Amino acid sequence: MHKTIMFALVILCGLSAGALAANQMIHQKGRVFSSESVSIKKGDALTFINDDSIPHNIMSGTKGSEFNLGSQAPGMSTDVTFKETGDIQVICAIHPRMKMMVKVTD
Amino acid sequence: MTGRFPRRSTMFATVVAAATLGAIGFAGISFGAVIVGETRRIDLSPKATPGMDAMKAQYRRPATIPFPKENPYTPEKVALGKKLYFDTRLSVTSAQSCASCHSPGFGWGDGLAVGVGHGMAKLGRHSPTIVNAAWGEIFMWDGRLATLEEQALGPIQAAGEMNMPLEQLMARLASIGEYKPLFATAFPDEGMNSKTLAKAIATYERTVVSERAPFDAWIEGNEKAISGEAKRGFAVFNGKALCSSCHEGWNFTNDGFQDIGLPSKDVGRGEFMPGVIKMQHAFKTPGLREIARRSPYMHDGSLATLEAVVDHYDHGGVDRPSRSDLMKPLGLTTQEKSDLVAFMQTLTSNLSPTAVPVLPR
Repeated sequence: MHKTIMFALVILCGLSAGALAANQMIHQKGRVFSSESVSIKKGDALTFINDDSIPHNIMSGTKGSEFNLGSQAPGMSTDVTFKETGDIQVICAIHPRMKMMVKVTD
Repeated sequence: MTGRFPRRSTMFATVVAAATLGAIGFAGISFGAVIVGETRRIDLSPKATPGMDAMKAQYRRPATIPFPKENPYTPEKVALGKKLYFDTRLSVTSAQSCASCHSPGFGWGDGLAVGVGHGMAKLGRHSPTIVNAAWGEIFMWDGRLATLEEQALGPIQAAGEMNMPLEQLMARLASIGEYKPLFATAFPDEGMNSKTLAKAIATYERTVVSERAPFDAWIEGNEKAISGEAKRGFAVFNGKALCSSCHEGWNFTNDGFQDIGLPSKDVGRGEFMPGVIKMQHAFKTPGLREIARRSPYMHDGSLATLEAVVDHYDHGGVDRPSRSDLMKPLGLTTQEKSDLVAFMQTLTSNLSPTAVPVLPR
């Protein structure tokens, strides 16, 4: 069982490290996303960095690709991997002027 | 375990272990089309606190009113929209107009804790001002309407407010002879219908802009325009009290939604975002222009004075999961609180009187 947990840890760490390698960064400074629209390949991740002075709540309500980072404090960073192709609208639930499109392609 | 399917059992255990670790360590992980990784701390270069001049520069008044390209400004639309805005015949009883709850006499609100609708029944929320609505990103306390055009038709049709079906309203307006040429002039290609009604009212509303207040004169360089107390209050507003985290820019709002810990059962924005914790009890941040004329305050009208509002923020409100992470006890001194109020008083202009239009017959 010990080996099994180690194996699982390696998988999870590998996933995180892989995601870290070449992610596009999305900044939130000044209550705006640093890009209005980004294109990524299926299976790639974006890194959402809160480099603003206040909390944000990044999420998507696009059908099939819903996610919600919850309250992300300043100085925190989260990777989000997109596994299906399509146009996914990402918003900050708190700040309605913050919206961007993630175009996930094959 | 028989040993017959050792690899499968190992794989199964691995998946269980991975899922368990995921659940414990990384609560955000999901196995759908989107995978949320762990959240980690990053190093941000320390921010220099902006100086007073840089801070003041963020509050300069805009030179022009923004109008959407789908509904550009014309003086004919404004003239028609103003008549419609003040016309009580837009309600089923012919007793209430837009101006009943959004009156120029009360900073374009109604001076009541909560609005009064059809049959004089009390509504659930405070009537918001329409001042500076042209700059609004999203409308209603709970953000349920996307444009000012949509907003204009909302209260007209709402059963609890003006209770007027649009079809019935357009038939009524068509029977008032003098409306037809006004619509024809304002909308030569579109005519008289509920869409042009909404466009006219929205265009008029966009022209309702807060006038120059003492604060604006100070921002533009007249040091004598506001008192020393107000200047100190401005610093507290942008610093220790964190007000400008939400009440930012010349209109003092970023149109964001926050639960500020008022003890109300109303879930506000949460009705439209049921799975988002921070949207429960969250309401749209109102601008602060003409604030001294807009009491009582908050989405439920529960606080009578600006002093009570400052006390609420100083206390931090009800501590619950949805409460904004920005809400916390502030430890303001008596002087800081009175300075904040003195500052907010400088955001109120000497609004010029608004003439009630002569209505079509």
